[in-house]
Amino acid sequence: MLRKEQNDLLCQTGPGTPMGRMFRASWQPALLAEELPENECPPVRVKLLGERLLAWRDTDGNYALTDEFCAHRGVSLWFGRNEHGGLRCPYHGWKYDHTGQCTEVPSEPSESGYCQKIKLKSYPLVERGGVLWTYMGPPEQQPPLPEWEFAMVPASHSFMSKRLQESNWLQAMEGGIDSSHVSFLHSGELNSDPLFKGSKGNQYNMNDMKPVFEVVESPGGLYIGARRNAENGNYYWRVTQYVMPAFTMIPPRADHPVHGHFWVPIDDENCWAWSFDYKVTRPLSDKERKAMEAGQGIHVAYVPGTYIPTANKTNDYLVDRKAQKEGRTFSGVFGIAMQDASLQESMGPIVDRTKENLVSTDNGIIMARHRLLRALKTMENGDMPPGIVAAHQHVRSAAVVLPPDKHFKDAAKEALVVQTGKEHVTV
Amino acid sequence: MQSESARMSSAAEARFRIDAPNSKPRSVKVIALDEPSERIVKELSQRTWNRAAFFTASSFGGTPKQGESFSGWLSDLAGRTKNLIEEVNSADLVVMVAAAGENAQAASIIGEACSLKRVTTTALVLGGPSISDEALSKTLSHLRPWALMLVIATAEDYIADMLTALRA
Ligand code: FES
Ligand SMILES: [Fe+2]
Repeated sequence: MLRKEQNDLLCQTGPGTPMGRMFRASWQPALLAEELPENECPPVRVKLLGERLLAWRDTDGNYALTDEFCAHRGVSLWFGRNEHGGLRCPYHGWKYDHTGQCTEVPSEPSESGYCQKIKLKSYPLVERGGVLWTYMGPPEQQPPLPEWEFAMVPASHSFMSKRLQESNWLQAMEGGIDSSHVSFLHSGELNSDPLFKGSKGNQYNMNDMKPVFEVVESPGGLYIGARRNAENGNYYWRVTQYVMPAFTMIPPRADHPVHGHFWVPIDDENCWAWSFDYKVTRPLSDKERKAMEAGQGIHVAYVPGTYIPTANKTNDYLVDRKAQKEGRTFSGVFGIAMQDASLQESMGPIVDRTKENLVSTDNGIIMARHRLLRALKTMENGDMPPGIVAAHQHVRSAAVVLPPDKHFKDAAKEALVVQTGKEHVTV
Repeated sequence: MQSESARMSSAAEARFRIDAPNSKPRSVKVIALDEPSERIVKELSQRTWNRAAFFTASSFGGTPKQGESFSGWLSDLAGRTKNLIEEVNSADLVVMVAAAGENAQAASIIGEACSLKRVTTTALVLGGPSISDEALSKTLSHLRPWALMLVIATAEDYIADMLTALRA
């Protein structure tokens, strides 16, 4: 359990909040590059960390992420005309460039320089790995661009999707490091999903339903090792990575692409669940890419024209009680992502953690909260939170079989960081 | 009409979650395995807890010899000896605390008692970033066979956070 003040502290990410400051200290995925496919394309509304923004791309291809509302009388610039190097408000014709600077106020004589006095708040927006990233913190503290491995491999090697999750970011993120739910909630998928099945590790998973866990602090967050029995007295380890505040990476299975998530607050009651998949040394196969596009693995199928999952709360997640009875899906919901999302949304927009009864296997979650709260404390003294420097981003999850006396953090030292040109260590 | 899931997962409906206890107090027994941990556990024991009890095994290294028993194998922080089996028997969770680099041999005795009584064990290793891998490995090798959850924490106050999280 968490006290109410602590829960509020971790869940609230709007402007001026401590947790909001942590999110604003590093680059966050804002939208997919495919959402702004060409110069002068329609602008896209983006809400992040409780701020209403507008993403757009000008005549010269500059990306812009500006205040959504016109400085004149507050019209949404989503209706703006994207033309000749700027976005023009359709109401009275004020025009802005990609930095948010107003360049024309038609009612005023241009000599007056009135427009110079008008500037919309704007944040940098940069493409990397098919994602448009933004940094919403103080400009003088802007860190170098993110170097997460999935964003650094060639485009043909990776796939990124996002889906709307109607819950606070923390309960979504906590699902990403909650290794003990996999053998229950997702048991159906381990052997049927094309992006999961057929790995030796799955056998270990199913043969040993009671894994033993080791939670170890890492420089940027946590390693969560789940240990199961393998042959000859060895241990099968699955090591999940958590990097603060909101990056989680699932251990690999066989030669399948490796996947992970960002859990980025839209506001305190909604978040984007970003899901990536990639291989280091080979392009994704057609089959893999098709499966991902079709919403398999950790991805979802969408309501056309949106990033809202087809199975969502308005249709009771298409729950199939017969399939549940027959054991085809544990919860009645199909698909890994929606199995998680349906349950996390069912907790309510912000779960009341004062009512929890955590058990020993929840130490991964307890430690993540502890690290976040600790980082918030050190930020009060002017320290940078973890997760910003490249070294914290050059991480990998791993699946390894090790002799019983080996500590995974040492034995798998190399497996847990990016090895240029080499695949993940996997079973 | 709105689906049931959409309606019931709203903030408005969340207010109707029953406000009644959904658990009974659990008994968590925290056992320091060595002297550095004993100091930390002592400090912890000064705070208010629901049902947590604190012990030390730091002066009990080996298995009782033939003819001896577990009856005096554990002690509370005031130095009174306690019966390990009895204490474990009345626990819902046993937390063993070890300092990285220290000999955590007592873990096997406690662990055995816990597995006999089917009590869950958690081991907590405390050690700053300065602890060498070898020192840590040594401690871990004693704990690993006996802990269903093993946490390696750099900050001492993790224990307090964990116990609070577990409603100890
Ligand atoms: S069993 Fe974990 S939330 Fe119900
Ligand atoms: Fe899950």
